[in-house]
This record gives sequence, structure tokens and C-alpha cells, in this order.
Amino acid sequence: MNGGWRAFLRLFAVQGTWNYERMLGVGMGYAAEPLLDDLKSIDPVRHTEAVVRSAEFFNCNPNLAGLALGATVRAEYEAVPGAQIARLRTALCSPLGSLGDQLFWAGLIPAMVGLALAAIALGARWWAVLGFLVLYNLARGFTGIWALRTGYDSGMKVGAAIARSWIPAAIERVGPAAGFAVGVAVPLVAAWYLRDIGAAGALGTLAVAVTGVLVSRWYGAALTAVRFALVAILLLVLFRGIFP
Amino acid sequence: MSELPPHAAVLLLAWGTLVALDLVSVPQAMIARPVVAGAVAGWIAGDLDAGLRVGVLFELFALDVLPAGAVRYPDYGPATVVAAVLAANAPWQYAVGISAALGLVLAILGGLTLQLVRRANARAIQQRAAALAAGEGGAIRRLQYGGLLRDALRGTALTALGLAAAWAISEYSRLERATALGLTLVAVGCALSAAIGGALRSAGRGARLRWLGAGLVVGLVLAVLA
Repeated sequence: MNGGWRAFLRLFAVQGTWNYERMLGVGMGYAAEPLLDDLKSIDPVRHTEAVVRSAEFFNCNPNLAGLALGATVRAEYEAVPGAQIARLRTALCSPLGSLGDQLFWAGLIPAMVGLALAAIALGARWWAVLGFLVLYNLARGFTGIWALRTGYDSGMKVGAAIARSWIPAAIERVGPAAGFAVGVAVPLVAAWYLRDIGAAGALGTLAVAVTGVLVSRWYGAALTAVRFALVAILLLVLFRGIFP
Repeated sequence: MSELPPHAAVLLLAWGTLVALDLVSVPQAMIARPVVAGAVAGWIAGDLDAGLRVGVLFELFALDVLPAGAVRYPDYGPATVVAAVLAANAPWQYAVGISAALGLVLAILGGLTLQLVRRANARAIQQRAAALAAGEGGAIRRLQYGGLLRDALRGTALTALGLAAAWAISEYSRLERATALGLTLVAVGCALSAAIGGALRSAGRGARLRWLGAGLVVGLVLAVLA
């Protein structure tokens, strides 16, 4: 796979031109460019068609985009009909989005953030921040290399390769780990802030927290956490203005 | 917020820009996470602890966000950088609340500017549609660099605006201590509710909910022992 490392590095910017029309499309085309270079000398017409296809609409979790990139590039070199490659790209959008979001956004990131917050509350300071950054980027780098290589090795059979891979099992484990880590972090962080505040202040803060949870569950997406916070801050300022 | 030396202001502007870029465009290395953005900003401003206090607070808010698909969300990165600077070199109990208020407004503004950048990207793609249809690699590269530049400019402008607002607040706002403390407690309460709300939503009713409950019990025990 010539150009593999350049494509891997370019995948870090796969969302660089994110928009509501092609979504990751142009970013995928940018990452595909070094991988498609050799096709230029083999079949220039096919190369042009492949470049066009590479920048068309695409969307998925950026951390698993390498699977689609590797698979479609391999298919281009194997002279698979263009319509079939376009169908493969479309078919990969939802599963790669769903798997990546569950693995990273709903799993690995809250799990690692939860641990980092707990560690800071227990006094780890810089070490917690550094540990989070290093561990996350190792996991992400490994996933990125694996995704590109697996996609390229599998070509049109990438779906079966994903199903056989470590990803479904990892999602099963990382979700509960995220729940546990955030669960550990919340009381520790609350104690970290409220330890020297006094009982009245601590009870008031916890009352705000409980109200926030209940109100946000009642109103759903209409009252986001940020909106609730701004309303609460405004009410406090008004109250203090009226009753100084 | 103490007087910032010029080199610190430049560093903070650069850090805010990097943090804004990291959220979506490049490299998504998680330096945009508030706990990282705040710690570094606090360190640059000369008060790591303030950066951590603000960073952890905004991280709790960020745990409420699941940035899946094309969902719209606040940009907490530059907001945390600015809030950490405003809270620096002052007792955190009185500084975190007003910093959080400014940061939350900036986070919403950051989310809106992200939409503007996405629309500008779409317009740029439409203008180069013919070149893309002809398979010109140069057009793809120019679009990509243009998108990155737009997002970098967004981050710089957002951070500069936030730093100017932070300076104005520190110069002209005189909050009495009780109000400042109240703001901090309300901000902490709201942040905790955001994290719990987000965790409950993600947990659903399955095994993850049980693990969340187990984590809360372990966290409570550790908090009592610590």
C-alpha cells in the first residue's frame, strides 16, 4: 500500500471541510490522494474517476474512516465497477458511524474522561491530563492504523472483516466501563468542589444539581444543560440584585 | 484575572485556535476537551489550579454532549480557555462562577460559528463543483486547506473576543463576595446535573445503568475516605 502513512496522517484532518452537503466527502478525497497516486500510471482514466468518487458524499465516525478509505481504494485498484464502489461507500456510512460513535464518543472518551476527572479530584493534577491525552491518542492511533490496513486488505469484503474484528466485543465492554468511570467521577468531583464550602452551600449546590437533572429529563432537548445553567445564573443575579 | 504579559496573551490566542481546530477539523487529539484546554490555559496564565477547576467544570458540561453524526453542540474549547484566564490568580470559590457564565455564553457562540464555517465550506465546494467533477486533485487540496483556515480563523476570533470580554469583566465588574460565591455554587450544581443527565441518557436501562450505579457508590465511598 504505497502512500499509506501519508493517507493515515491525512485522515487526522478528514473533517477539515465538514459541511452539510458532502459531510466528510472532501476530507476522504484528500486522504485518498496519496493512495491513488499509483493508479495514475496504471490507468489514468480510472484514476480520474476514482478521484471524483473519493470526494463524493460520505459520513461516518472519523476514527473508523480508514476502513472505508482502504476498502474503496483497494476496490479501485481491482477495477471493481464504479457503481459498486459508490454503493459500498454508501453502505458503510451508517455502520461505521454507529460503531465509531459507540466505541469512541459513548465509550472510550467518557470512560477516560471519567478516570481523568476522578484522578484530578484525588490530587493527580497534570498527570491525569497527560495520562488521558497519551492513552486516548495511543488507542486512536492504533485504531486508525488498523482501520486503514484492514480496509485495504479486505476491499469489497470489508463488512465481513468488521464483523469478525475486535470492534463489536470492545463496544460491549467499553460502554459499561464508561458508565462506571463517570459514576465514580461525579461524587469525587462534587466533593472536590464542595469540601470547604460549608453545609448550606453544599446542600444548595446539590439541590441545583437535582433540579437540573429533573428539569432536563422533563423538558428533554428543549432545555439543554447550558440553557438551564444560564437561566439559573441569571435568576441568581436577579435575586441578588433585588435582595442584596 | 491578573494583568497578562503580551507573550502570555499571544500563547493563549494560539492555544485557543488549536483547541478550536481540534474539536472537529484537525487532529481531534482531544486537546479540545475542557479538562485539557483549561489546564493548559491556566498554566499559561500562571495558575494551573484555576485552569483545572474551570476545566473540570466545563468537562462536566461536555459529558452531556454526544457529538454523533451531524448533531449541533456548544464549542467548549475556546470558552474554557477564556474562562480559565478570567479565573486565574483569584480565589476559585469567587472566580469560577463568573468565569463559567462568560464561558457558557462563548460556548454557545462557538457552536453557532461552527455552523457558519460549515455553510462556508459548502459554498466553497459548490464554487468548485466543476473541478471536483473533473477529478482535479488540486481542487480537493485547496478546499481542504480553505476549510482548515476558516476553522482556525473562527478559533482565533472566538478566543480574541473572549479574552477581550474577560478583560472587560475583570476591569469593570465588581461582584460582592456572596454573589460571586453563589454564582460558583450554581455553576457547579448545573455542571453536576449536566454530567449526571448525560450519563443517565447514555446508560439507558441496560447493564450500563447498573455499572453507572456501581460507579456512583464507589465514588461516594472514595469521596468520604479521601
